[in-house]
Amino acid sequence: MTYESRPGLTRRMHVPKRRTGARLAAALTVSVLTLTACSGGAEEVEAGPAEVVELTFWDTDARTGRTERLETLIGMFEEEHPNITVEYVGLPSDSYMQKVDTAIATDSTPDLITMKASDISALVAQGALAPLDDRIEEAGLTELLSEGMVTSARAAAGDDKIYLTPTTSLTDVLWYRSDLFEEAGLGTPTTWDDFFTAAETLTDKETGQFGYTIRGGAGFWSQFVGMVLPMAGVASYFDEDGKAVFTQPEVVAAAERYAGLYNTVTAQSDLTADFKVMVAQFGGGSAAMLSHSIGSYPDHVAALGEENVMAAAAFPSDENGVRVQAGLVLGFSAFEKSEHPDEAWEFLQYVMEAEGDGYWAKESGYIPGNLEVAEQDWVKESQPIAVSLEAMAEEDTVPLDHPYYLPEFSAITGTELLPEWQKTLQGEQTVEEFMQKTAVLFNEARAAYDARQ
Amino acid sequence: MTTINHIREGQAPPLVARRVRSSRAPYALIFPAALLVAVFLVYPVAKVVHSSFRQENVLKPFDDGFIGLANYSAILRDDLFWSSLAFSAKWVGTEVGLQLVFGLCLGLIVNEAFRGRGLARALLFSPWAVAGILTTTIWILIYNPTTGITRYLADMGIGSYGTSLLSSSSGAFWAAVLAEMWKGIPFFAIMILADLQSVPGELYEAAKVDGAGRIRRFWSITLPHIKRALLIATLLRGIWEFNNVDLLLTLTGGGPANATTTLPLYVAQTALETKEFGYGSALTMVAFLILFIVCVLYLKLTKMGDDE
Repeated sequence: MTYESRPGLTRRMHVPKRRTGARLAAALTVSVLTLTACSGGAEEVEAGPAEVVELTFWDTDARTGRTERLETLIGMFEEEHPNITVEYVGLPSDSYMQKVDTAIATDSTPDLITMKASDISALVAQGALAPLDDRIEEAGLTELLSEGMVTSARAAAGDDKIYLTPTTSLTDVLWYRSDLFEEAGLGTPTTWDDFFTAAETLTDKETGQFGYTIRGGAGFWSQFVGMVLPMAGVASYFDEDGKAVFTQPEVVAAAERYAGLYNTVTAQSDLTADFKVMVAQFGGGSAAMLSHSIGSYPDHVAALGEENVMAAAAFPSDENGVRVQAGLVLGFSAFEKSEHPDEAWEFLQYVMEAEGDGYWAKESGYIPGNLEVAEQDWVKESQPIAVSLEAMAEEDTVPLDHPYYLPEFSAITGTELLPEWQKTLQGEQTVEEFMQKTAVLFNEARAAYDARQ
Repeated sequence: MTTINHIREGQAPPLVARRVRSSRAPYALIFPAALLVAVFLVYPVAKVVHSSFRQENVLKPFDDGFIGLANYSAILRDDLFWSSLAFSAKWVGTEVGLQLVFGLCLGLIVNEAFRGRGLARALLFSPWAVAGILTTTIWILIYNPTTGITRYLADMGIGSYGTSLLSSSSGAFWAAVLAEMWKGIPFFAIMILADLQSVPGELYEAAKVDGAGRIRRFWSITLPHIKRALLIATLLRGIWEFNNVDLLLTLTGGGPANATTTLPLYVAQTALETKEFGYGSALTMVAFLILFIVCVLYLKLTKMGDDE
């Protein structure tokens, strides 16, 4: 495998010239840049057979608002396709994969499922999902979709095929309480120092007010890596030699700074905080800042009002001035063993076309994958999307390259590292020890992956 | 030779036919149950035994294959196996011990005659009827840092804001113990109360006449009568607590930092999260063996099953 340095970046800012790495590294940048490009119109959906077909649809993140939005989307689709009905089944976000695995093992998979790039390789390894490349091309959708998102979706699978519709994408942002910032005389944070200063300033333990809520519980990795690597100005898990970057001095220093937030400007209970707890704290007023994707915007608006919550993109690194932006492609997938592959495809096509994608992206607060939708006014008017796109469009911005193609990715970042992270926060081991363990796990996974290529 | 066609109505079938029919009848009757046992018990157990000697991971099918005793030797070098086994012993000992003591006390109390005894019994036994996941939900709300008990205590100036029992290794253990006790004590109380009601009242009256006090009556009459119920309840509860997954999985997830990970919970995480079904099967076999040995020792030591 060969690598080359990207011009204009420091020695550590290497983008590997590999099928997954290079494409993923370029993906989100291209996706943002192409969002402003011209787009074609959606194709007319042909009428299907007269017989009514019922599709089963699993949602992997069932929440009240989201379920309502999905049911509306399904209703819109059914109106356009009277010969197809879609049965919605909501699964809890913290245990959906166990149910999916069980369904795969027992040949009882549904027709459709909501999917994210980080889950793709695990399901592809089991031969569970239907590849969509040919259908996308035949339907003429290639020209209608963000090239970057398509590339990201393809890179996540590990076999260079598309298994999820590049319907939407998310970027990670720093959410902050603009009203509390104003009261404290703090301006919009634009640097990492601003962030740490604000976290200290807005912490008052006597009244139960904390400057930040750190994710110490399930799913900690996305927040951890989405803060630490951008702070260090590192955009990939692996350096030019294919070695994990987690023991590099600037990465360790950033991790120490991040872990140092725990129990100083955060609640002690954050040791086990997951997504729901973090959002509840932020929405309930006990935390002034929160790291999460733009996907939680509807929750924050519902709890705090649009005027009291703002998003800030990842700040440029003090190390090298590079802004590292984390993101994720989200969409829908069809199972290989669906008894109605053509009807399932009809739904997938609908959520990639202007009407379906337009509704779903707008109501969910996601960045749309359809280029026509990307031109709509609401995209420019959405503060979190606007701030993300603005940051991504900058010359020195680089997307964070997650190695989702590693089969062990979820096991490492979830099961293996979560207890180690909690030991670190409790002071049972140093941040450096945690980072060494992290590096070992990723090095082993990468070596095994390379050996199979 | 006589055939069935020659048999007149009301006449018994020949002896040979009766024998054949009667020899097949038991097998026909037992077949449905045997089939269910084979499908839902024998096959899964055999599959676990088979998988325990293999490398099996659905995410890495290219590595699957027979590896002999490698899973078992890996278990011996696995720190998390030993820590989860130690925690299992601590968990079972603490839970069963506390549930036994409190269950016995409450069983004795609700066996007494007093006003409102029916209501007291209903309240005492009601936690046992609550679904496991609902029990967890109740306690998660109680331990919630923003809406739970620590928040209200902080409002009164006791403790700090933003704290939770579940967010420290030692606190999480006792938080889980309390939640499980709430659900487990009624089981002991029910078993003990059922046995208490079979103790003849004449024995207590005779003991009173002989001048025996409450404590003497308890040790000489009550305890010998309820001994068997105590031993059975302790054994059953010990097995259940050892195999407890639902409460710990949903309340603490085995955390923080694996501080509340029991051996069965470790098995569940290995199989469900990391998808290492081969290693998880080997862990299951070891857990079964440990539980089997402990149960045999318990039965031997308590002389259960011996004629008295």
